[in-house]
Amino acid sequence: MEVRDAPEQALRESLARAGYLADPELATTVWLAESLQRPLLIEGDAGVGKTALAQALAKALGAKLVRLQCFEGLDLAQAAYEWNYGRQLMAIRLQEGQGRVQETDVFRREYLLERPLLQAISQDGPCVLLIDEVDRADEAFEAFLLEVLAEYQITVPELGSIRARHIPRVILTSNGTRELSDALRRRCLYHWLDYPTLAREIAIVRAAIPEADSRLVEDSVQWVQRLRREDLSKTPGIAECLDWVRALHRLHPQALPEDMGVLLGTLGCLLKTREDRFLIDAERMRRLGEAPRDQGVAASTKAATC
Amino acid sequence: MPSARVVEFVALLREHGFTLGVQEQQAMLSVAVQLGVTRERSVAAAWRAIACQRRREWRLWPELYEGFWHPQRVRGTVKVSGQTRPRRDLRQAVSDLHAQMATAASPASAAQSHASADAPATSASQEPGLARAQGGASAVEALHNREGQMWWPQELGELQQLARRIHARLRPRPTRRWQPAQPGDRLDLRRTLRRSVALGGEPLGAAWQVRRTERPRLFILVDVSRSMESHAAFCLRVARAFAREAGARVFVFHTRLAEVTALMHRDSARVQEKINAVTAGFGGGTRIAACLQAFLHSDARAQLQGASRVWVCSDGFDTDAPDDLREALQALRRRGARLTWFHPTRGAPVATAFTQARACLEACLPLAGLADLRAAQFRLQ
Repeated sequence: MEVRDAPEQALRESLARAGYLADPELATTVWLAESLQRPLLIEGDAGVGKTALAQALAKALGAKLVRLQCFEGLDLAQAAYEWNYGRQLMAIRLQEGQGRVQETDVFRREYLLERPLLQAISQDGPCVLLIDEVDRADEAFEAFLLEVLAEYQITVPELGSIRARHIPRVILTSNGTRELSDALRRRCLYHWLDYPTLAREIAIVRAAIPEADSRLVEDSVQWVQRLRREDLSKTPGIAECLDWVRALHRLHPQALPEDMGVLLGTLGCLLKTREDRFLIDAERMRRLGEAPRDQGVAASTKAATC
Repeated sequence: MPSARVVEFVALLREHGFTLGVQEQQAMLSVAVQLGVTRERSVAAAWRAIACQRRREWRLWPELYEGFWHPQRVRGTVKVSGQTRPRRDLRQAVSDLHAQMATAASPASAAQSHASADAPATSASQEPGLARAQGGASAVEALHNREGQMWWPQELGELQQLARRIHARLRPRPTRRWQPAQPGDRLDLRRTLRRSVALGGEPLGAAWQVRRTERPRLFILVDVSRSMESHAAFCLRVARAFAREAGARVFVFHTRLAEVTALMHRDSARVQEKINAVTAGFGGGTRIAACLQAFLHSDARAQLQGASRVWVCSDGFDTDAPDDLREALQALRRRGARLTWFHPTRGAPVATAFTQARACLEACLPLAGLADLRAAQFRLQ
């Protein structure tokens, strides 16, 4: 029998209060990452809620969220620290009049510009460090991350190692566009985040848009789930589903509109590429709508999310 | 939960390509102690997060976990629990499975099962006619027939060289990005000015950049169905060379698809056995189209991009509907993949599905030996 006041259960409830409905396995993994003080690598398709998890975790813990958005060409100066050359030059000019300037005068912590990684390990209070889309960064950058992820420290040659005062919770996300190195993976706990089940997605949409009609939410989410089985180049994620339900709610607050034209007009919320838009025409939409509707989803939603 | 059982479980995971060191093993034990064995669901979730490092392992986990800790719940797959350590050996398990399949498919098996209920079950796998699996990749046959796996050191060296050469010939694709390089083709004005700040505003050190190029990603899919039994070993050896020299991702398939890239990087004489173990439990026949669809939609979903190379090593015999293969290949091409089909025969396959789909292929080349690969290198650019 599961213990209700288990730490991972408490964390799950905190996340739910912060607006993120995590399944028990994910909550356990997030709790474990804290317990073992290990970074958590989350992989999954775009739009399944990887970034949202870090945001919700920060909110749930009342921690500061520090975000490092990775991109090709990201380097140390943008990710960790950079010397504030302007201030250093000014200090040199000021001290020139007073006598000899020593190297230690200008290579001090106060002349260091903190970028996200250094900012995260310099926090005195709780902090969530989100390293978003790490697969977009270059492989060389991964090697630099190893020290931060394993030791929670950054070595500045002129100053030595700066250790974290308060171990941050680190969440790395990846869309899997390239294979990450084994060294990086070994330092992290791993979780594959898939698209939510029907019941869970309905619960998510209900939590996000409580004013939407229950029938509308159920029908739309089922439709989106069926759409995900199509051969799309960009499968709609949860965020797209939420956008669509919001749009439909404003148009027809009761249920999915019968008029295909209205549905086609709102498809831009779900389909983000030209090919996908051509693939899902009125006929395909009608067939998706005609698939058997799952009854009683609303009743099982609560059970599925508890 | 005795720690010895956890150690056995970790050993099983390692056999399936998981990278688990002592640190991970200790973490798993400490989590079990911390959470308590009564909260199995939480323990399993925590172990999964510790043990898995990539999606392939994540997907494999439920099967291995259930098979080890709850063998009674497992139906139709290899049961690996409730046995002593030697009997959990993968080779043994695979052999047992195929022996069972052979016995079940034999017309006389029903009668024999009654007649020999009290006798020790030893005869089935010892009879030559019964040692074959009924469709699917036959581990038993592959393990007994080692001819295709006997390689001279100079042949292995040549294969590695060929793989290196072919990879070098795969034309790098220029991307829109520029990357720092010294010297370079273009002045990186932003970095030059940034660098000058440290020198009082004097741009003394110019920063340069070059256009970034990427070699195409390579995916190799090897058919390990029964009809490819005598050729699969060679194809896998070739795939292994490319996995090492070109960072190729390697998959095997017959009715299902499984990634074996991690196994390809291991220096072990038992790679073939492990691949057989990974594919054990698959049914008979070959579902090339379904496997290609699975490859497209899940395994390589995010990594297929313009100019990715997908090499399929298969004889083209497909049990899916003939149109399915063409549709699967067309879907792959829509994602920008360039497709090459390697067949083990001299002539191209004549199966209906293959002939219909041939127009989607960039090249269709024989691959029965090193000479074929040598000849193919000029076609693979």
